[in-house]
Amino acid sequence: MEWFLGPLVGDIEMLAKPALFNIYFAAASIPIGFVGAVLLALGKASRNRLLSRLCSGYIYVFRGSPFFIQLFMFYSVALALNIGVWKPLGIDWLVLHPLFLGPAILALNTAAYAAEIFYGALLTVPKGEVEAARAFGMSRGQQFRSVIWPNLIRIAWPAYTNEVVFLFHATALVYFTLPVIDDQKDLMNRAGQLFQKDYNAFLHFSVAALYFLVISLVIFYVFGLIYRRMTRHMPHQRAIRFKPRWLG
Amino acid sequence: MIDLLPQWLREGLSEDVLFWLGYLTNGKHLAWYASVRFTLFAAVAGAAVALAMGLLGATLRNSRLLPVRLIGAGYTNMTRGIPDVLFFIFFPLAFEQTVEWVMSRSLCSAEEIATAVLWPPCPAANIHFDTFQYLLLASVSLGIVYGAFAANVIFGAMHSVAPGQIEAARAFGMSDRQVNWRIRIRQMWIYALPGLSNVWMLLIKSTSLLSLLQITDIVRWANVLGSPNFLPTAGLVHPDWRWQYYLVLLVFYIILTFLSEKGFTALRRRVGRGMITVED
Amino acid sequence: MKKLLLAAAALMALSGAANAQAIRIGTEAAYAPWNFLDDAGKPAGFDVDVGTDLCKRAGLECTFVANEWDTIIPNLVAGNYDAIIAAMSITDERRQTIDFSEPYYPPDPSRFVTNAGVNLDFGALKGAKIGVQSGTIQAAYAEANLKDGNTLQSYATYDQAMADLAAGNLDTVLADGPYLDPIVAASNGAIVLAGPEVSIGEGYGIGLRKGDTELKSKLDAALEASKADGTLDALIAKWFPGKGPFYKK
Repeated sequence: MEWFLGPLVGDIEMLAKPALFNIYFAAASIPIGFVGAVLLALGKASRNRLLSRLCSGYIYVFRGSPFFIQLFMFYSVALALNIGVWKPLGIDWLVLHPLFLGPAILALNTAAYAAEIFYGALLTVPKGEVEAARAFGMSRGQQFRSVIWPNLIRIAWPAYTNEVVFLFHATALVYFTLPVIDDQKDLMNRAGQLFQKDYNAFLHFSVAALYFLVISLVIFYVFGLIYRRMTRHMPHQRAIRFKPRWLG
Repeated sequence: MIDLLPQWLREGLSEDVLFWLGYLTNGKHLAWYASVRFTLFAAVAGAAVALAMGLLGATLRNSRLLPVRLIGAGYTNMTRGIPDVLFFIFFPLAFEQTVEWVMSRSLCSAEEIATAVLWPPCPAANIHFDTFQYLLLASVSLGIVYGAFAANVIFGAMHSVAPGQIEAARAFGMSDRQVNWRIRIRQMWIYALPGLSNVWMLLIKSTSLLSLLQITDIVRWANVLGSPNFLPTAGLVHPDWRWQYYLVLLVFYIILTFLSEKGFTALRRRVGRGMITVED
Repeated sequence: MKKLLLAAAALMALSGAANAQAIRIGTEAAYAPWNFLDDAGKPAGFDVDVGTDLCKRAGLECTFVANEWDTIIPNLVAGNYDAIIAAMSITDERRQTIDFSEPYYPPDPSRFVTNAGVNLDFGALKGAKIGVQSGTIQAAYAEANLKDGNTLQSYATYDQAMADLAAGNLDTVLADGPYLDPIVAASNGAIVLAGPEVSIGEGYGIGLRKGDTELKSKLDAALEASKADGTLDALIAKWFPGKGPFYKK
């Protein structure tokens, strides 16, 4: 077994630091993406026709095009604006750095997908509760905080969990498109680099897949815990127990 | 390509327009437009494989045997943990290596295998795939990844068919296989279509990754055409035009998405004929 | 199962084994004037001309294949093509994985370029953003000597590095002298050569698989003939005006 375990453990060690880049990209883009998504969903559902159309359009464009191309395009656009916009403002060192640009484009992308999820959940918020809040004389802000928001986030959470996991998977594409600074490599790049050296596709890509799998499971678990806390006031269905049918 | 224009048109248009028409239809650009066929082939072939794998996965999950159910569950849950990019890059490499390994077992001598440092062990076991074969491999790997998505959707749809219909079929004395084929699978499409249209959208968008498999597809060409050129001997001298070319790609994919949505709405209307469903 | 795989493999091998006499040559096709894609979308340039000439002399049927720089050596070893003619410098490190033919272009020092008006102290470079193409001798040199205190940005092609330089995202780019000279000349003063000459590499050679002695000897013989009758010098003069003659005595 040693011939197998040795390279396996070696690979796990070598891919640990690159994994941090993927985790960083996901962690940096989730908060902004989340806030952006809520704003977009509210905008799409608003009664202002212009705002609603703009938000719908944004969501349509970002959901309808591949993330890979969005990465290429926004890097290129940011580069084209370098002399005209970023340099005079003095922020060119920040904007064009992959560690900023990667999460920025990821956030733009995830905001659109999550906005669609939140919009769907917004439509299913119980109308009765909203009307009751209005009858109580709550202002729009109070209505949002007491009734709409808690329902929205609870209904949308399972689908949003899926979206967060997909976001994490999408971080694998960032370093395929943006330039490499010093020696920063993420999971896919490092696994590819190791593969070019010894052609052992099964080992290197399996370990990379293992990292993705474990971190995805952690995300599912943590978000599941949050979901359980959010629904702690609701009656839980007893798990249906039945005798497992092993054969026939 | 400008020569295909009639003389009166060529005289009528301004020099600028003619120049751009000529540039946008030179060999390089035509090759770019032609490489769309790779994208479309991968999308359609990938979807076909995904549908087949989806049906297979859902059937496995419905099986009465626990080990088979576990395999089905493992396959359909694969998408939750593994990025599609990873499998997309891994599958063709793994397939190529497996084929070369099998070939090396019979074509290479034992000492060549024992002393080989690089892969493959001996030159005879080397196999080289051309673009079309890579495209096929890419389609199959797309199909396997999105088949897992589709299996989830089809599994859910199979269980959404009204139980009354299943009971009535059983009461008629139909065997399990007949119930499955005549009632379940025939009727589940209307429930599966929204989910399957989602899977199709994801599939189209992942065809943008073909360039990662060294296929010269539309993304690779956009990179080549947009990169700045400084030497007149190498073609038109131009600065960095990449974002314009990527914008064209973006619009192309949005158009594909738009057309797919229209297509699926029409499909849903047709499949839902005679069925009582909520029209969304 | 094994027979099935073997049959599938045999089918695929047969489809590729039809042209046993032809050799495939890999080139980057993104490094003008050595190799680029012409307006018809075909590989062209100095490397392609040299390759065509050598193949004619050696009696081989050659097709050129474009391949990204990052995977150009691994794909040679894996057998996707049989030779690399892509402005590849002969270095000891590369000699560990592949063989080289005799050089077809003599060693030419690498140079730094900057935007006009940018003054960098190349003797003690600090805080600069240096652009290179990953996997090149310049990248290795910069990694070994310029890493401390500076940021190294690696790109997939040198054209992209130059794009970043032109957009002001880089302070300097380190690249082959013959690649930079025409760019500096064509930029009308916007991009200038700066800093010292850096001598790395032992000239440009044709990359071959280790142990492929038959092809190496054929190509070396053809190269000798091409040098002797002045064809190589003529090609160098055509693509690099003002350089050479290097080989005809």
